Amino acid sequence: MSITWNDSVPIYRQLRERVVAMILDGALNEGDPLPSVRQVAADFQINPLTVSKAYQELVDDQLVEKRRGLGMFVTDGAREALLKSERERFLREEWPALYARLQRLGLDLKTLLREAPQDTESHS
Amino acid sequence: MNAVVTANGLTKRYKNAIALDQVHFEIQPGRIVGLIGPNGAGKTTALKAILGLTDFQGQLNVLGLDPRSQRNKLMEEVCFIADVAVLPRWIRVREAVDFVANVHPRFSRDKCQAFLSRTKLAPDMRVRQMSKGMIVQLHLALVMAIDAKLLVLDEPTLGLDILYRKQFYQSLLEEYFDDNKTIIVTTHQVEEIEHILTDLMFIRDGKIVLNTDMEALGERFAEVLVNADMAANARQLNPLDERQVFGKSIFLFDGVDHSRLQTLGEVRRPSVSDLFVATMKGTYA
Repeated sequence: MSITWNDSVPIYRQLRERVVAMILDGALNEGDPLPSVRQVAADFQINPLTVSKAYQELVDDQLVEKRRGLGMFVTDGAREALLKSERERFLREEWPALYARLQRLGLDLKTLLREAPQDTESHS
Repeated sequence: MNAVVTANGLTKRYKNAIALDQVHFEIQPGRIVGLIGPNGAGKTTALKAILGLTDFQGQLNVLGLDPRSQRNKLMEEVCFIADVAVLPRWIRVREAVDFVANVHPRFSRDKCQAFLSRTKLAPDMRVRQMSKGMIVQLHLALVMAIDAKLLVLDEPTLGLDILYRKQFYQSLLEEYFDDNKTIIVTTHQVEEIEHILTDLMFIRDGKIVLNTDMEALGERFAEVLVNADMAANARQLNPLDERQVFGKSIFLFDGVDHSRLQTLGEVRRPSVSDLFVATMKGTYA
């Protein structure tokens, strides 16, 4: 598998973000096993220590748990916890800049909703 | 933990040149170390010394042994793939497997067969009939089936196409490497291995000019994309290197506080190849 890493963020962080995205998208469900450190290292051609470090962060955040002899698994409640923290992060870090930009462009809520793609609107 | 390799004042002189000049380094177990340097910098000499293939001055300890006097014992624990194909052209795949099975106490025939079964190599095929990539596959199959503590790779993927090169490192990571093994690799294809490495050594004119683990590298070195109006400020911080891209300057810094650099522009981790080019400037001049 080929993948381009971004030079401004350490690779273990980027790997962590990928797992987080997979949990949020439902590609990894609660109770699902994560691929082994060795597998990920070989697939992405990165050092196993880098993979372990990413997994360790997920363990520290209680999104993933280690089961002795079996490997890593997504914890119960991981998706809920992630949604909560990601929503908070969005409101804290991304929303202010986005809001400022909407103001600058003079886009109001009515226009935005009218232009929203049909299939995502049903989710809200 | 005991170091796998310890070099102290390692020196090698050829008639008219000095290939290794009072070199000191240590390699810990479970690491993947990249030894990177321009042609003629001393990489292959260093590897040869570690493998007991050349005489030298100074001290060198490999897995607790002296490669000069205890080479036979050392060879039970060390494997080597060289850029020069060493397999005889007349040998068949099954003969090569039989040979290694007979001479090496730590060779696993099953492991070797399992690896070969995933290639197009047939038991009766001779080395002479193989492409360069297939020869490396055979070599890798023989070497990976040996439970060695130290694997030394000298330009292992030289002359291979991208598919074989990717497969080579993938096999190493998937089927060979673990915390008890150590790999030393030299290559000019730095981009290919930079994320695999745990440690990086630059060698130039027989001296180790950089020896760092990859994590520390990201903290020590930084690349900053600076707009023209800030370039003068950046130059005051003694950059290692400066190059121009799209009207901006990219500066490379060593040991400057990252928070200070952020005031100049976007800070990135330099690639090993950019770091290499900056460090080796003037080598051929």
